[in-house]
Amino acid sequence: MTVTRSLLGVVATILVWEAIARIQPNSVFFSGPSDVANYIIGHSGLLFRAAVETTGNAVIGFLWGNFVAFALACLVILIPRSEWVVSALALLVFCIPLIASGPILRVLFGPGSGPQITLAALAVYYTTFLSLVVGLRAISQNWTDLMTIYGRGRLSTLLIVRLRASLPYLFVGLQIAAPAAFLGAMIGEFTGAEKGLGVLTLRAMRGLQTDATWALALISASLAMLGYACVGLIKEKLTPHAPTILVSTPRGRSDHSFPAQVIGVAAIAALVFFLWQGSMDAFNLNPFFAKRPGDIWQFLSHPANMNTLLNALGATLAYAIPGYLAGLALGAGLAVVLMLWPPVARAIMPTAITLRAVPIITTAPLLVLAFGRGFTGTVAIVAVMIFFPTLVACLQGLRQTPTQIVDLFESYGVTRFKLLRSAQIPAMLPALFASARMAVPAALLAVTTAEWLATGRGIGVLMALTASTSDYNMLWSCVVLLCLVAVGAFAMVAWCEKRVLRIYASEQLA
Amino acid sequence: MTAADISCENVRKSFDRTDAVAEFSTVFQAGRTTALVGPSGCGKSTILRMIAGLDAPDAGLIRLGPETPKQVARRGGLSMAFQDPSLLPWRTVRSNIALGAELARKPAGGVDDLIHLVGLDGFADHRPAELSGGMRQRAAIARSLISEPEFLLLDEPFGAVDAITRRRLNQDLPPLWRRRKTTTILVTHSVEEAVLLSDRVIVLSPRPARILSDIQIDIEGLRTAAETNSAKFQALKSKVLAALEEAA
Repeated sequence: MTVTRSLLGVVATILVWEAIARIQPNSVFFSGPSDVANYIIGHSGLLFRAAVETTGNAVIGFLWGNFVAFALACLVILIPRSEWVVSALALLVFCIPLIASGPILRVLFGPGSGPQITLAALAVYYTTFLSLVVGLRAISQNWTDLMTIYGRGRLSTLLIVRLRASLPYLFVGLQIAAPAAFLGAMIGEFTGAEKGLGVLTLRAMRGLQTDATWALALISASLAMLGYACVGLIKEKLTPHAPTILVSTPRGRSDHSFPAQVIGVAAIAALVFFLWQGSMDAFNLNPFFAKRPGDIWQFLSHPANMNTLLNALGATLAYAIPGYLAGLALGAGLAVVLMLWPPVARAIMPTAITLRAVPIITTAPLLVLAFGRGFTGTVAIVAVMIFFPTLVACLQGLRQTPTQIVDLFESYGVTRFKLLRSAQIPAMLPALFASARMAVPAALLAVTTAEWLATGRGIGVLMALTASTSDYNMLWSCVVLLCLVAVGAFAMVAWCEKRVLRIYASEQLA
Repeated sequence: MTAADISCENVRKSFDRTDAVAEFSTVFQAGRTTALVGPSGCGKSTILRMIAGLDAPDAGLIRLGPETPKQVARRGGLSMAFQDPSLLPWRTVRSNIALGAELARKPAGGVDDLIHLVGLDGFADHRPAELSGGMRQRAAIARSLISEPEFLLLDEPFGAVDAITRRRLNQDLPPLWRRRKTTTILVTHSVEEAVLLSDRVIVLSPRPARILSDIQIDIEGLRTAAETNSAKFQALKSKVLAALEEAA
């Protein structure tokens, strides 16, 4: 029954799509299914080779990224003292927009698939790390007591209890990671590869080849979703009762005083500079492209360079901030509205969860075609990128309103609005803030990618230009600045979160 | 295996400035079973957790024989059954019971005998989710016995067990402990169980826990459910109840 209905839905969608395309023949931003099919059939060999290339890089990156995430999560569990350093560094690396690390990796690796694989790995490790740490910790104290009674330490507890108990959490992370790896590989290809779907997409966009752009977007999104579905199948087999995870960062050092926090931040900054300088010296990287902290400092001390950089950043933020806020507001707003019609919410949930996983970047070219290369198009890309994860997280949050509280409200016969306002929206806030934090790097990634692909302004373009003109000082400065902005914005959201949750959900901060 | 005493000397413990245990001193004799009874929240479980090495006392000394709890734990000489069965959901009953030996680095012989003893025949290959609460609890008790520990700590392990099985366990377990010369400490809410299972009952005061009364249970020979009707049993039970009432 459901299969027939889904099939009918697909057929109807294709028919409507074709009808729209027929109304506007030769449109520069719209291709009908028959045009797309013609393109795919006509270029099947090329598309197949590109798809194999991109998928291969995504798979290798997926394995590496998750391996690193696994190792880091085990390290945090085995040596709890390492947690704040590991978490801070992991977050910092996660905050560097992929499109910013792309050109640098390109210079470091040279031609070949190194950058694509690294970016795919970078795109996945953080979500897996977070959900795995939550999973490894989410065991009952009785189990750790049991291990202590028999004189077993952290390693035995990890091997005998924690790893097995964390499987459902691991798979929730892996499932989100699968399409993300595909996204990372494609962004790596945007930044100057020779082969792959990303390269073809860039070419199609620049040549205004509408049919090719549509075909590539469809293929990329489908392959990414195939990864999502495959991991989902394995997950269903192995862990049928998946937990609901709000992917959020591990608990911060909120119990520390202000000076202690300042010292902590300073220590992390010092460590980053040390790792940056040290790794470049250790690998003896050519100072022509591998810029050290001192080079950047010197470069930015010229006001002209600083001005160029800040102007570009200003242009980028002018698009990123409205897109970010719009995405969050639309996601949370729709979740609240859906809550008033529970059957609709139940029906939409699976679709929303699936769409959350679509790497929006693969469809960014279509959004550019639809909304133009200006403000609207860029804001739309940023907003759409953030919209689905927020919607899903908020719906899950709204559902987590304790049933006793709902029962209590209903026993007084209050209206649905009142219940929503007084009980359900406060219960949703932790989820909203968790996604607001994770959306910061996502927004910067989306805006810089849109600039790179389409708009021709902002820091994304500055990076593209400097990468092609070998102005490596400016390229590194862009990366450092984007990273600082991401970390700053992340910290700001976390600060608001702490203030708000202290009132509405104090148990979340315990 | 030689039995050893558990000695507590001036043991103190507080949580967030609330005293849980104050100046607790006693010797739990080797190879015997001692019950700790007292009002809810009086610190019985805290004492048990300190003896198990799960919590460290703020002051005072705890020794199991000549060793610290941690030292005994490391050589697998200790086991405990909790109020909650805490079975690993992905392991079968058999494998959950064998885990006790595996963790203590001892051979897992006699799993089937223990399965029979706790009345789980036919459920060896079931997973915890397929069992009732009481059955899970019985598997957890078997897990605590499989490693043949010198020191056995029982934290209200019979709470979720149905009345009939509880009665059978009350009858079958003490002979096993005596045969193995296990030094056993039992925390329980049931006065009848305390008198039936132990050689000595310690009645504790409300928090912070102090020893209010120390009653020897000098019933010789095999204790059966029928024993609970005897005048001597009733007298001992009244004595413990009176001490408890005084505590409250």
